Amino acid sequence: MTKIDSVESRVESYLDRVRTALHGLPERQIDDIMRELRAHAIELAEGRGVEAALASLGDPVDLAKAYRAESQMVRAECSSSSLRILLGLRHAGRTRAGRFAATVLYVFGYVYVVTLWMVAADKLLFPSRTGLWYVPGDWKSIALRTKRQPPARRTRAVGMVADTGRHSCRLDFAVLDRQRSPVVASPLPPV
Amino acid sequence: METNVSPAAQTDKWEVQLRKGCLEMAILASLWPAKLYGLEMLGLLERNASLVLSAGTVYPLLARLKADGLVESEWVDVDVVHPRKYYSLTPAGRHRAVEMAEVWVRFSAGIGGLLSPVLKEDIA
Repeated sequence: MTKIDSVESRVESYLDRVRTALHGLPERQIDDIMRELRAHAIELAEGRGVEAALASLGDPVDLAKAYRAESQMVRAECSSSSLRILLGLRHAGRTRAGRFAATVLYVFGYVYVVTLWMVAADKLLFPSRTGLWYVPGDWKSIALRTKRQPPARRTRAVGMVADTGRHSCRLDFAVLDRQRSPVVASPLPPV
Repeated sequence: METNVSPAAQTDKWEVQLRKGCLEMAILASLWPAKLYGLEMLGLLERNASLVLSAGTVYPLLARLKADGLVESEWVDVDVVHPRKYYSLTPAGRHRAVEMAEVWVRFSAGIGGLLSPVLKEDIA
């Protein structure tokens, strides 16, 4: 085995251990990390030797942990949990464009929540009139409606109708004739 | 269990925390004049700021700064064996660096004022 080979094989076996410990992160990200660490180790090994080069990166499992910890911080900012979105928005609010985007998202979010609460309240009072309606074949007719007849241009519309059983509440798909009450067509599994 | 930590050890611990807290700012500042690749950045921080950092700390942090949109990276192939991943500041990163520098200057001036009697006493 030549000296170059032994440097490379030492580096590769180190990288394999990091890769194993990084399992679960996106493959593309792992490949990029491997490439960067390899370049670092090879270049440093030329000056100070392979042991010093690998020592500079530390224990492979600890290194992978550090990557995971940093990537978790990013994921927290990208995840869809509402609390995390709020934290992410606060973070984004540090730049001017971020502040604008955050404001728009806040306003949109509040309007959305208020609308849903109003629809939910109406659902209790007018269960057969409230829901997400659309005229089959016309996707532009999709509308969240309440207290009114479903879209009037055609006689039939499909909507979600709640069916409250003794122990469960489920949403069924219903076909509604304008003049008649809804007929439950094809039950969906409980939501 | 450590019940009696020596004052020297406590000072060491504190210094580690202090350095850690400055790391992000130091990295962004190091990229202010020009793009750098990892090894180059480690050398620069060691020479200019006596920040002896382990590569194992800096690379994961760079990955996060990139994901946060503060730095961007590009691969440059110097030759077949030596590809280098160069980092540079994005506009958001430059903005952040300025913010951090302002906070730092204000903070260190305040602390400096508090510390000046302490240092005088020590010398005298």
